[in-house]
Amino acid sequence: MGLGQLASRALLRSSRLTTATRTSHFLRTIVSTPELHNSEAAAAQSQPEPDLPKRNPVGGARIHFPNPDDAIEVFVDGYPVKIPKGMTVLQACEIAGVDIPRFCYHSRLSIAGNCRMCLVEVEKSPKPVASCAMPALPGMKIKTDTPIAKKAREGVMEFLLMNHPLDCPICDQGGECDLQDQSMAFGSDRGRFTEMKRSVVDKNLGPLVKTVMTRCIQCTRCVRFATEVAGVQDLGMLGRGSGEEIGTYVERVMESELSGNVIDICPVGALTSKPFAFKARNWELKGTESIDVTDAVGSNIRIDSRGPEVMRVLPRLNEDINEEWISDKTRFFYDGLKRQRLNDPMIRGADGRFKTVSWRDALAVVAEVMHQAKPEEIVGVAGKLSDAESMMALKDFLNKMGGLENADVFLLVGTQPRVEAAMVNARIRKTVRATKATVGYIGPAADFNYDHQHLGTGPQTLIELAEGRHPFWSALSNAKNPVIIVGAGIFERKDKDAIFSTVEAIAKNANAVRPDWNGLNVLLLNAAQTAALDLGLVPESDGSIESAKFLYLMGADDVNVEKVPDDAFVVYQAVPTVGDARDDWKIIRALSEVAGAQLPYDTLSAIRSRIRTVAPNLLHTDEREPAAFSTSSLRPEIKEKMDMAPFETAVKNFYMTDSVTRASKIMAQCSALLLKK
Amino acid sequence: MASSLQRLASHYRKAYRSAITPFSRAFSTEDALVEAKPGEVGLVSGIPEEHLRRKVLIYSPARTASQQGSGKVGKWKINFMSTQKWENPLMGWTSTGDPYAHVGDSAICFDSEEAAIAFAERHGWEYTVKKRQTPLLKVKSYADNFKWKGPPKEN
Ligand code: SF4
Ligand code: FES
Repeated sequence: MGLGQLASRALLRSSRLTTATRTSHFLRTIVSTPELHNSEAAAAQSQPEPDLPKRNPVGGARIHFPNPDDAIEVFVDGYPVKIPKGMTVLQACEIAGVDIPRFCYHSRLSIAGNCRMCLVEVEKSPKPVASCAMPALPGMKIKTDTPIAKKAREGVMEFLLMNHPLDCPICDQGGECDLQDQSMAFGSDRGRFTEMKRSVVDKNLGPLVKTVMTRCIQCTRCVRFATEVAGVQDLGMLGRGSGEEIGTYVERVMESELSGNVIDICPVGALTSKPFAFKARNWELKGTESIDVTDAVGSNIRIDSRGPEVMRVLPRLNEDINEEWISDKTRFFYDGLKRQRLNDPMIRGADGRFKTVSWRDALAVVAEVMHQAKPEEIVGVAGKLSDAESMMALKDFLNKMGGLENADVFLLVGTQPRVEAAMVNARIRKTVRATKATVGYIGPAADFNYDHQHLGTGPQTLIELAEGRHPFWSALSNAKNPVIIVGAGIFERKDKDAIFSTVEAIAKNANAVRPDWNGLNVLLLNAAQTAALDLGLVPESDGSIESAKFLYLMGADDVNVEKVPDDAFVVYQAVPTVGDARDDWKIIRALSEVAGAQLPYDTLSAIRSRIRTVAPNLLHTDEREPAAFSTSSLRPEIKEKMDMAPFETAVKNFYMTDSVTRASKIMAQCSALLLKK
Repeated sequence: MASSLQRLASHYRKAYRSAITPFSRAFSTEDALVEAKPGEVGLVSGIPEEHLRRKVLIYSPARTASQQGSGKVGKWKINFMSTQKWENPLMGWTSTGDPYAHVGDSAICFDSEEAAIAFAERHGWEYTVKKRQTPLLKVKSYADNFKWKGPPKEN
């Protein structure tokens, strides 16, 4: 009753709100001629009154005040806003809800100030100012929709379009192009350009990024992304004047695991996705917001599909996890979803051929064999992508992803984040660049794109660190916020407990785990591994497979097939897809019924509530969760001895880590071209 | 035209209300007249039984990472999580067996999370709300490009 009343109240209020707020959307969009769109509103804005309508920052942005005393007040179109000292005029406008048009400015890259699209008028300034590069000063009066600003934008637009081809109809960016949108909104309705347009030779940047360099407007976003975020110095600006080009000087492919992001940041169609080229128009696509499962980072993504087919994957904003980047594997593995899939149940006959059978027959056969086997001969192996639920409910194991930016010393134990979790690596790189944090690394020689110290290759170094004998120890012990990242490779070793307890000892000595700071992280390899640890499934040794009579492989593709005894009955269950394939959990539930040991859940929500009792944090998708995986209290005394063998590389090929990425053609091309060493 | 009709209608409502108040005051307040318990709207709306117990996801679509525009950011949507979709063998079009498949995408849109929740509650749908992710604005400056970043490293 009470709830109903509340709900109906909320309803009443919201229905009243809907009518009231609909008009205000016009105010938020960028319009150079507001008087045409909304004359009363523009008139109301021009005279600053105390009761101006409340404006919200663009995109609902939160504002980070490094020091609350350092706030200054500026006026954007007469509307007063409080901003932290040092912010730019463009950011001030953003906080006031005015989205300034821009091409070169990107909130996650350094400021270049070379496109001039962001010109605004500032009172008492003789010329329009480039708002992205101009720091806002106290009391500044910024005007974003005056005739001067409008004329400035129109002029810039005309210059930009001078050498830009008019090939929108055959451009993949068409329909989601900033240049297209902004020339509609701010450009002139006629051109005065009668000369020849220049043309630029296309560059070959590898199998992922397609280039049509004539479309480039020299905003240098891609150059800044490559040097600042991806950490490869491959791209640059060559030539001057109208001979200016973006390129790699000598032809070479872009060797970065984040190269796909230049497709997103390029404001025009100069850099587009090669696998997606001419496949679909963006307005045909329907986006589904989801979580990436190809590594354990849990990047927030949007899966764009046309009808039943996945067409592309794009990043989605999450400040705590992936900001607005994703790795190339996440972005391009999707074609693996369409190939080599098990769509129907199949049974291998006496002749060795696979035959398609109905679900009823298949389940009956499996149940019969299962009854014949002794319980200890039954082995289940859960694979990397198995369990749709744990996959969906992927929790970020790296509980301090955003916190990584506050770290001053990193210790990487047996992990190469660059291949294991490219987004984590990007964060560490960002921190190293911004604050000069020190990185110590223990493991086999590896490729890093930031400064690091290679401390050693195996447990020996760990012991030295734990005993404080290693030179790196002074850096670690003096650190304010040390971060220790343990790789997943450790968990595959026999002496994993001993190693982990040594790492814990280091963490304790370095004061890395405190109530206000958890600096001990485990970097796992994939989503299911994260989920499985949470659910209490432990990686067992491969030995059990050898004695098995009945082997249940749930999406497990990495099992060594030679080890399976000849007389064993193997059930292989793959990741569901379209057609007559069923969800993983439904198959197991049906099997349990045929086998006469019915599981107590028959709906998805029942399973979820079961998961909730076992591991509550699995059900919060896409939020960062503090890791529940406790490291100290539950662990038994460690008796085993540490093996002195050096750590091994956990991921050999960044592009192929599970069955879907291995089935992907694009990933195969990438590993052939980019990992030639 | 439309507004004059509205005015007429509200006028009529007022007249009607004043006519019935003597009776209704005896057993109910005005608020009680508009109260709808969770799921009740769904029950009386003639929606087929199986669609009254749907699981929906309430979320706010993220900004497109590849574009600047933010005009569509901040809306709330209901996703019906419909998966029955197939390619029609005759024409190659996408068919679906779910009448709600496009409703969430293209038809309904809310200004606030509460409005979306209230809507779902009224129809008796079981809903999960996904937290909205917003960007964080940090101080940036052009002068950072020229900051001294320590002695140059050789490599
Ligand atoms: S290629 Fe695209 S991102 Fe790079 S400078 Fe040209 S327009 Fe900018
Ligand atoms: S956005 Fe300011 S100059 Fe390019």
